[in-house]
Amino acid sequence: MSPSVLSPTPSPIAFPDVALPESARGLRHEVRAFLEEERALGTVLGRPDSWLAGWDPGFSRRLAERGWVGMALPVEYGGAGRGFLDRYVVIEELLAAGAPVSAHWVSDRQAGPSILRHGTEEQRRFFLPGIAAGQCFFSIGMSEKGSGSDLASVATRAERTADGWRLTGTKMWTGGAHVNDYAIVLARTDDTDDKHAGLSQFLVDLRAPGVRIEPIRLMSGEHRFNACHFEGVDVPDGMVLGRRGDGWQQVTGELAFERSGPERYLSTFPLLVSLLRELERGSATAAQLTEVGILTARLHSVRRLSLAVAASLDAGASPDIQAALVKDLGTRLEGTLVDTVRGILPTPADPHATPGSHPELLAFALLHSPGYTLRGGTNEILRGIITRGLEQH
Amino acid sequence: MEPRTETQTNTHTIDTGAPVISADAYDTAAFHAADAIAVVTNTTAPDAVALPSEDASTAELLTAVQEAGHRAVPAPFAETALVARPLLRRAGLPVPEGPLSYAIAPDLTIRYARPAASAVGSAGCLGEDDSLLVTGALHRVPWARAVTEVVVLATAPSGPVLFTLPPGRAVLTPGGNLAGEPRDDLHLAAVEIPASQVRRITPEVLEEAGLRAALARSALIAGAAERCVDLTVAHTGARTQFGRPLSRFQAVKQEEARLIEEAALVRAAVGAAAAPLDTGGPVAHGAVAAAKTQASASAAEIARIAHQLHGAIGITRLNPLHLATTRLWSWRDEDGDETYWARRLARSLTATTLWPSLAATP
Ligand SMILES: Cc1cc2nc3c(=O)[nH]c(=O)nc-3n(C[C@H](O)[C@H](O)[C@H](O)COP(=O)(O)OP(=O)(O)OC[C@H]3O[C@@H](n4cnc5c(N)ncnc54)[C@H](O)[C@@H]3O)c2cc1C
Repeated sequence: MSPSVLSPTPSPIAFPDVALPESARGLRHEVRAFLEEERALGTVLGRPDSWLAGWDPGFSRRLAERGWVGMALPVEYGGAGRGFLDRYVVIEELLAAGAPVSAHWVSDRQAGPSILRHGTEEQRRFFLPGIAAGQCFFSIGMSEKGSGSDLASVATRAERTADGWRLTGTKMWTGGAHVNDYAIVLARTDDTDDKHAGLSQFLVDLRAPGVRIEPIRLMSGEHRFNACHFEGVDVPDGMVLGRRGDGWQQVTGELAFERSGPERYLSTFPLLVSLLRELERGSATAAQLTEVGILTARLHSVRRLSLAVAASLDAGASPDIQAALVKDLGTRLEGTLVDTVRGILPTPADPHATPGSHPELLAFALLHSPGYTLRGGTNEILRGIITRGLEQH
Repeated sequence: MEPRTETQTNTHTIDTGAPVISADAYDTAAFHAADAIAVVTNTTAPDAVALPSEDASTAELLTAVQEAGHRAVPAPFAETALVARPLLRRAGLPVPEGPLSYAIAPDLTIRYARPAASAVGSAGCLGEDDSLLVTGALHRVPWARAVTEVVVLATAPSGPVLFTLPPGRAVLTPGGNLAGEPRDDLHLAAVEIPASQVRRITPEVLEEAGLRAALARSALIAGAAERCVDLTVAHTGARTQFGRPLSRFQAVKQEEARLIEEAALVRAAVGAAAAPLDTGGPVAHGAVAAAKTQASASAAEIARIAHQLHGAIGITRLNPLHLATTRLWSWRDEDGDETYWARRLARSLTATTLWPSLAATP
């Protein structure tokens, strides 16, 4: 019998090969040099979850001065006009270093691209230069008390007024609404039987009359997010984002941007760096090295998938299923990393230990750990998206 | 039109979101002995769990300690009931009123306060009586600031000793765990402990102290695990998304079942150690080592699933889940984590003893 020639079975969900552009290499070195300077200033502290908790508008502004905020936005709107892959390199360097990026994170990742894509020319000229300058910060107002995984059930309403809209309702878990300038708010503008229809997005000034921000404390005691009450807030017509009634398509159409970036597997990476620093003081055992090796291999592999999604986005595709897959894998890895680090170097997590010490970083990563697999859509919902995608394949 | 920059005034109170773990935690935990006694003994207080009588069996004590873990009782209940009191009785010392704690501290520097004039053997080996001069630190003593006495197990020149220390005699540095429970350091600089408070103990009592501490912690974990189950089952039954209770979704059912299984595993391991602890010996060692290994090892999965099924509300102080999960994450490390106990468990095993030791508890 002659051996049969096998052609490789195509994967049901394809990821393109990626090679970072040459420009990215130089860029990476520039970012590292910048981070070195900032470390000397004491602003880069190597903390976990720095894209949620590292709030430092001064740092954001200095980053923007280098052209590294809103860097995928067109030059005519104050951006750097560089693609998603260049942006990828910058943000992965920032997260790996645990740099305080939370002030501009949402503006850079969601608000900017969203306004570019759906906004009016006037909105672009108004918001994008401020975003790219690290001077205009956004929150996301999607979730509500009764609308979590079932986002389409939002009850916040926008009623027509003479020259605009009046918003009434409460958004939950709005990260940074107490320190940011604007929020993108999803609200119901029309009653229909199809709950995915009749939703619209609004650009809301967080200091407008009628906005009331109520802190929600995390279990660690930190104040990161809020219940954001809109008690009859007037929003001018010019602040509707995109088309009336298209809110749902706009929200879901952008998920790939939000779901697959380095923030979905690097939130706890600084803890691994801290572990290695600890291990370097003595000599690591074979068992410890094995565990570090397994984690590193997984990080390496997830990063390849994440980069592939960035490459697809750069090429203009919308790899929603691939992005969901990366987010499920990546956010689970973030939690596993914390458990594994604790197992490799048993250390009681201690929130009262010296800031930046290993026991303190471990406590911080641990207290934040439940959020990794929830924010931006839970992993159970993501797995539903992946398998539904397969069925449609 | 220009977008507003942050130099303009913000009408909300600016909160940079800096962690306030310490401040908040100490607010809730900064009560004194009187409050702790009330919580432990006053059965009408909302969090109270009645302290069993001093001659209660280990099984009864374990049940009460599990309940304390279940309710996140803000007092050294397990420390008093399952560790300090039985050890004092074993050592023949009176059991004081009120909340107690313990410290196993082989590293203390101990001399006799009144060294014998004609010492036999190396100098300072004997005393005119057993009063001691103690120097060193007791680290992360549970609830030290709120107890009447700390039962200390240490090594004197003559061998292992147990003594009681009123925390007021030491310099206290406050500390806490992830749940904000006090874990204070006590610094002792040549503190004299009168002979009436000192007892020489056998190495077996020293060993028993370690087992009691680990088992107390395991029982607390079992209780907190049950709390995670209760809260999660209630939450998934009550919360609706997509027009249905969460408990109707397959993915939720699957996770919830694993949570229930893991909590049952811990409860079983804790229960299996009750009778052996009363008997003592290698069987007690194996059963407690298995209980603490399992309890500590299960804590991560139990907390993970409970949080995942609670969604965002679970990571806030608005919901009681954090009372259970931050305790699980703390208690799994205290009195020996799973690595420590798994090694001790495995060290005594051989090919011929493995099965007999597994089958030693009914
Ligand atoms: C750290 C953090 C930051 C956040 N920041 C923001 C923000 O800035 N702005 C904003 O708008 N929102 C924000 N969120 C909210 C986030 O989007 C929601 O937490 C998320 O969508 C889940 O909703 P929920 O928490 O209400 O959980 P629920 O929807 O109640 O889900 C609870 C559990 O049930 C499961 N479940 C629900 N439905 C199904 C189903 N059909 N099939 C299988 N399983 C199901 C879920 O997977 C989950 O495990 C944030 C959340 C976190 C944790």
